[in-house]
Amino acid sequence: MTADSGWMPPPCTVAGARAGGVLDGGAPEGPLSTAWRRRRLEYRLVNPANRRRLKVIVVGTGLAGAGAAAALGELGYEVECFTYHDSPRRAHSVAAQGGINAAGENTVDNDSLERFVRDTVKGGDFRGREADAFRLGEESHRVIDHMGAIGAPFAREYGGTLATRSFGGVQVSRTYYARGQTGQQLQVAGSQALLRQVDAGTVTLRTRHEMLDLVMDEGRVAGVVMRNLVSGKITAHTAHAVVLSTGGYGNIYYFSTLAKNSNASAAWRAVQRGALIASPSFIQFHPTALPVGSKWQSKTILMSESLRNDGRIWVPAKAGDERVAGSIPEQERDYYLERKYPAFGNLTPRDVASRNAVAQIRSGHGVGSLKNGVYLDFRDAIARLGKSTIAERYGNLFDMYQHATGEDPYAVPMRIAPGAHFTMGGLWSDYDQMTSLPGLFVGGECGWGYHGANRLGANSLLSACVDGWFTLPYSVPNYLAPLLGTAPLAPDSAPVREALARTRSRVDRLLGIGGRHGPSHFHRILGDLLYEGCGVTRTQESLTAAITAIQQLREQFWSELRIVGSAERLNQELEKAGRVADYLELAELMCVDALDREESCGAHFRDEHQVDGEAARDDEHWAFASAWQVDDGQFVRHHEPLTFESVRLQTRNYA
Amino acid sequence: MASARTTAGQVSGAAGPLLPGADDSALELGSVRAGRVRRPPVLPSWVLKVVMAVSGIVFALYVLVHMIGNLKVFTGVDHFNEYAHWLRTVLQPFLPYEGLLWIVRAVLLGCLVAHVGAAAVLWSRGRKSRGAHRHKGLGLRNFTARTMLVTGIVLLGFVVFHVLDLTTGTAGAASASFRPATVDQAHAYENLVASFQRPVAAAFYLVAMIALFLHLAHGLWTVVSDLGATGRRLRAVGYAVAGAVALAVMLGNIIIPISVLSGLLS
Amino acid sequence: MRLVIEVWRQDTPADSGRYETHTVDDATPEMSVLELLDRLNDQLVEEGLEPVAFESDCREGICGACGVTVDGSPHGPQRNTPSCHQRLAGYADGQRIRLEPLRSAAFPVIRDLVVDRSALDRIITAGGHVAIAAGTAPDADSLLVPHERAERALDMAACIGCGACVAACPNGAAHLFVGSKLTHLSLLPTGRQQRGKRARAMLFEMEQDFGPCSLYGECSRVCPANIPLTAIAAVNKEGLRSFFRHKDD
Repeated sequence: MTADSGWMPPPCTVAGARAGGVLDGGAPEGPLSTAWRRRRLEYRLVNPANRRRLKVIVVGTGLAGAGAAAALGELGYEVECFTYHDSPRRAHSVAAQGGINAAGENTVDNDSLERFVRDTVKGGDFRGREADAFRLGEESHRVIDHMGAIGAPFAREYGGTLATRSFGGVQVSRTYYARGQTGQQLQVAGSQALLRQVDAGTVTLRTRHEMLDLVMDEGRVAGVVMRNLVSGKITAHTAHAVVLSTGGYGNIYYFSTLAKNSNASAAWRAVQRGALIASPSFIQFHPTALPVGSKWQSKTILMSESLRNDGRIWVPAKAGDERVAGSIPEQERDYYLERKYPAFGNLTPRDVASRNAVAQIRSGHGVGSLKNGVYLDFRDAIARLGKSTIAERYGNLFDMYQHATGEDPYAVPMRIAPGAHFTMGGLWSDYDQMTSLPGLFVGGECGWGYHGANRLGANSLLSACVDGWFTLPYSVPNYLAPLLGTAPLAPDSAPVREALARTRSRVDRLLGIGGRHGPSHFHRILGDLLYEGCGVTRTQESLTAAITAIQQLREQFWSELRIVGSAERLNQELEKAGRVADYLELAELMCVDALDREESCGAHFRDEHQVDGEAARDDEHWAFASAWQVDDGQFVRHHEPLTFESVRLQTRNYA
Repeated sequence: MASARTTAGQVSGAAGPLLPGADDSALELGSVRAGRVRRPPVLPSWVLKVVMAVSGIVFALYVLVHMIGNLKVFTGVDHFNEYAHWLRTVLQPFLPYEGLLWIVRAVLLGCLVAHVGAAAVLWSRGRKSRGAHRHKGLGLRNFTARTMLVTGIVLLGFVVFHVLDLTTGTAGAASASFRPATVDQAHAYENLVASFQRPVAAAFYLVAMIALFLHLAHGLWTVVSDLGATGRRLRAVGYAVAGAVALAVMLGNIIIPISVLSGLLS
Repeated sequence: MRLVIEVWRQDTPADSGRYETHTVDDATPEMSVLELLDRLNDQLVEEGLEPVAFESDCREGICGACGVTVDGSPHGPQRNTPSCHQRLAGYADGQRIRLEPLRSAAFPVIRDLVVDRSALDRIITAGGHVAIAAGTAPDADSLLVPHERAERALDMAACIGCGACVAACPNGAAHLFVGSKLTHLSLLPTGRQQRGKRARAMLFEMEQDFGPCSLYGECSRVCPANIPLTAIAAVNKEGLRSFFRHKDD
């Protein structure tokens, strides 16, 4: 099946949505293993002396944003970089724990670039672009070398070489790590590199600025509208190109593993300006989050997946077993992952692990006072390796667990439960990381690349780094080259004034509702709706109900919201309200996408489509990525057909 | 040119009131204050700390040697007075009479000026960087650190008194029977005993020695840090030495007024 | 349980600020200090009052965004624990709890409990980085780093940049922050190439906002990343080294 075989995707039958056209991802023709090298050769260049005449705006300072801004600054472009945090280091990349993958060639566990691609594509259940996965693997080594060189102290073997470990969904050991703080170490190294460019004068960094809109100039993206969170001042900033690296939208579920401020607003604003958003319903539920314990809990805390290397997951074999873990004898424990998937055991990919946990909890085998978790038990690992080895590997995670729950994981098993985590979906981009809006590039989790319908552990840090450090610095200049000699849009031009007016009227509208509830009130309700309707598993019924409920909630929001305070200074309620308003629109599209896709693939599990409890993918009809356009309240589903050369389409089987 | 475009590329929003207490230029970058707490100092704080550490080591060595010398008081009146005399005549004829003493005095005075001067500057910088809100409720846990200024002032006062009492024999500070040293003979033993037979002087001495202990214990531990000892063993040894020296100096010294008051020395 | 919250309110950086007292009736021992603030803010919003501005993000103790002073102690009464993990288990029904911003002259208050910590980033900007451009790094396996050295670098690199060390210091010093960064980078084969230059630049910047170290040890007590006091000695070590050596590396 190829794009030109006259094949057509299934019609879109969801109310309020329709099918659109076919998309070309623009990956180079020919063998994929050399595609990236050939594409780089095709890219246009800008003379070093001319680079400072071209300006790029980068929104976000996570691994992708800081990387792109720093690398473009190093090359000599004029970069203006924004973050809503007080410091670039706070971006949520900082919280990734487990590690970062790199395709191994040297070890004798038989890893290779091809195997990396196979794992990534297969792990993503064949719903990602294969050519992207090749680039990801190809650049992975440079990422490790570079991030290590600029300050990330990766764990080392006693021989002094880099240490690796294995991660969920993979049978080789290709994950580089720095204790349970890999994301932090990479993020700190990346933001240092960014600040080095600030010091060098190539990057202007504006912290505490939140993007509220894009400036559009005849179909091209020509700048951004920012709100200074401290003074409330709304300003427009124009440039030759804009990079969005603003992270994922998992926070839409309210209880998620994401940071409290992570949001979808920048990406959603791009969608409202015409960008396509791909596979919004592909959301990974992390199997090793901590179960929600109380009404006032602010989020679900994430424990690194690396814990599954040594921890064993089990539930009491008898439903409703009230005994404490320690008094349940071995033969009455159900190590359900090891039982069902003997080859991968506790290291099955995240979607499989999460779904099985939900199945166990729903069938009454859940543990903890709310019966909403499963055990992750280190008893055997401690007996085998000793407490000190376990402490060296996971010490800070165990400490974190103890802080959060008051239980000692060395003595009693941890309790874990799936929590909304990573969004594989995001702004659709071509092979060059450019969205459907010319001049708007995307990096990291806010894009849709690489991960298909399910991301493998330790691939997210990699994809953000590859985008930021080793893709955008090639592809953005290719877009800039023909713009040499043109100036960014003038401050008093009509498009800028229009964007500013649009932004101000939206802020005024939010402030003027004068209802009864703060934004968090609506956010909590939305989260519950989504977990119920568009959670780890979905059905036609649950999704249809969720869509109606979200529409109603949105109406309530716009009539019952109350924002106390003014827009003229720091107002966190106003910030939250803007984000929740966007979530309320995105949530509907997520459900529409999930309802539209009549198959199960990766993290998208429709109860109607399963074989023996496993996801039933439908490659005949659904081997494409849905990229949605929001057109005057209508959702239009464009499609990018997905074909696979080096990996045969096959049913994922982790048994 | 590049920066000109950056400025031109921004368009200000509504002409609202800017944030009171914040600098406009800083706000544009997401910060609120453009200025710093102070201008780049000519002598950075870490250099002043090294000055304090080095002068502090000189003081520590001096009080250690002084204490050992003091203990000679238990070897008898003649021996002790001979020791005091020897200090004035040592290295003659290479040095003049009291030559070594004056060298030591000069070094100590230099160190004192440096130590106190640096302390005063550092104290004011600390105040300024801390800001208006004092830290309360620290309890006893860094008592020695927090009392460095107090113990330092007590010691400074004591040094002045001590010199007036037993070196210059100035009336008011010294005992009525004070006899200055001559070229041939010292009267250190008699002066010492006479001084400590005054309970107030002995009590002040006792207080000063406790202050010295606190000051030395934390000061020497700070020296370890300020001279950049980062090795685990070096720091452990430094910590032990700091405590041991401070304790030894205090005990070695306070035993003397106690002995005088209890009649052991007379 | 019922908690009486005395919380610092300050509208603008210029405002002199004051304490406001509120009560939360349904606090629970497993709540964190920040969740208590969430709860208080929910209450305030429902009453039509302005909620208390405070910063937090990951709530997992790693981003460093949070930082409030609880009963006089930056982050809270539990040692080496970030605000987001400070549980209320130590408080009894009816007890008072006082919440203030992180206090330091280098951290001007923006609003309520939110302070401006850009002074820390100015130090990193001045020199807390490694001058290696994208794609120019050598193969990481060709630069051997002994296991123990990598672990020591990680101990120091664990700093989350929250600024509690500065707020805890009666001198408003940033030695723990600066020392951990200097040590972290000087332990790495690439980072040590500009060790002297970095020390000079970072110390020059540090001196302008932060105070001297008197070894109170308060910083290390509150540090959520457990950075040891050795980091403090590293500040003077690197200062002395760069002064006497007078070379860039």
